[in-house]
Amino acid sequence: MDTVVLESVSKIFRHRPALFNWLGQERGGRTRALDNVSLRVSPGEVLVLLGPNGSGKTTVLKLISTVLLPEEGRVLVEGSDTRHQANRVRKHVGFAVASERSFFPRLTARENLEFFAALDDVPRVSRAAMIDRMLKQTGLSDAADSLVMKFSSGMQQRLGIARALLKTPSVILLDEPTRSLDPGSATRFWRLVRDMKERGSTVLLATHSFNEAAAVADIVAVLHQGALAGSLPVRNTTTVENLRSFYFDTTGDADESIGIWAGSCA
Amino acid sequence: MSLAGFADKLGATVRRDLLTAVRHRTGFLMTAAGALAEVAAFYYLARAVGPGFRPEGSDYFPFLLVGTGFYTFLVMGINSFLTIVQEAQQTGTLEVLMTTSTPPAALLVFSAVSAFAGNTAQLIFYFGAGFLLFRSPLGQANLLGGAIVFALSLAIAASLGILAAALQLAIQKGSVLVWLLGSGAWFMTGTLFPVASLPRPLRVLAGMIPITYSLDGMRLCLLQGADFPALFHSISVLFLFAATLLPASLAVFSSTLRRARLEGTLSFY
Repeated sequence: MDTVVLESVSKIFRHRPALFNWLGQERGGRTRALDNVSLRVSPGEVLVLLGPNGSGKTTVLKLISTVLLPEEGRVLVEGSDTRHQANRVRKHVGFAVASERSFFPRLTARENLEFFAALDDVPRVSRAAMIDRMLKQTGLSDAADSLVMKFSSGMQQRLGIARALLKTPSVILLDEPTRSLDPGSATRFWRLVRDMKERGSTVLLATHSFNEAAAVADIVAVLHQGALAGSLPVRNTTTVENLRSFYFDTTGDADESIGIWAGSCA
Repeated sequence: MSLAGFADKLGATVRRDLLTAVRHRTGFLMTAAGALAEVAAFYYLARAVGPGFRPEGSDYFPFLLVGTGFYTFLVMGINSFLTIVQEAQQTGTLEVLMTTSTPPAALLVFSAVSAFAGNTAQLIFYFGAGFLLFRSPLGQANLLGGAIVFALSLAIAASLGILAAALQLAIQKGSVLVWLLGSGAWFMTGTLFPVASLPRPLRVLAGMIPITYSLDGMRLCLLQGADFPALFHSISVLFLFAATLLPASLAVFSSTLRRARLEGTLSFY
């Protein structure tokens, strides 16, 4: 059985302008964020979502996490429907959101993780050890007892990853997880993703980085204007250049970096 | 959810709120100082009015103390539901909380219980300061009756709070309900003077606000030591309000939460 299934999923966001809209110029209407997207992810597979801004990557992750509900179609996680069995779905899913601001600022990193561990039913007997392990894996052991309000963006992002992994979920959702990380931390994080995969977790990761996709993906899916534009299995022989070509061929965007590199070499 | 799981999650929520409160050091002290100043102001107001004014057969200061203390407690309780949602939206924790293994309604209940615990501590401090510091007579209080009125009022405040939280999710303006109760309706509920002094149309309106019965019942219990037959009217009306509002507010909250998940507006504020 596939761990995550999206069946003909569409998602529409409606914009309702405020009263007295003549005072400003707020746009009304609808945005079709996802249009008839179907995806299947097998157990232990790492699916990387690529796509331009606004292509629907985060919407896919939010639909799987139950934060959003689909307009049409259905989303299944471990066989449970996110619309009707949301509580069951949440037990399987860990979500590292893209926004760094997702913690209680006047609690320390450890206190934040203790709070979320309780809500996620992490057993009390193993909670402290689990939190220590996650802090170590994300390189935050030294900052464990500092208030989160004093954390840098990168530290908050690493703490978000630690929180997502706390309940040892079978499905891990990572939204631009290395956006604020330094190169060393990003490389360590890619190793962590491969460890998750080896332990049998299914990972869905949204990113703009071809390096990241090449480092961790089993499959790359490209979203463009809310539709699934194409997918590509990633093998040991797949290079960053292969992914770049596939991405630009699929989206139809011009790869302007070719001109830049060519210009700089000339 | 097992009892142990419930206690664990509630404990974690109370600890989170307590740690946040004590780390806002000045806020913690200012709340206590503000409560003391308010009690002192009412004490001297009652002295200025003089002993001739005895609303509902009580001295004016204990009348004010119970009215303002309990009214503030209930409105702060209602406001705490709104604040929970607003702060979660502003700190970006709302969406993350919605992805945990704890159902959203349970999350709201844990946070509200935690907030009410803090408010109860403030109420005890407020009453304590009034009754002990300014030597207000407590009389032969009916404590069991007071506990029943307290519990029913708590259920009503929780229902109104859940409605405010639902409004916040739906239109990002849950403060409308709190404003209505906090500013628009307070003078009709008998907080500072008896409802009987109001003109008839306002008395009718006052009869539709559950807090009117909460204050009436609490004063009967604490200041007059009323027995249960005398409390029957207040308690039965409070029970009817609680039995209607609690399931209705939960249904409204559940519906607005679903709508916010459908429209993607959970974290809008």
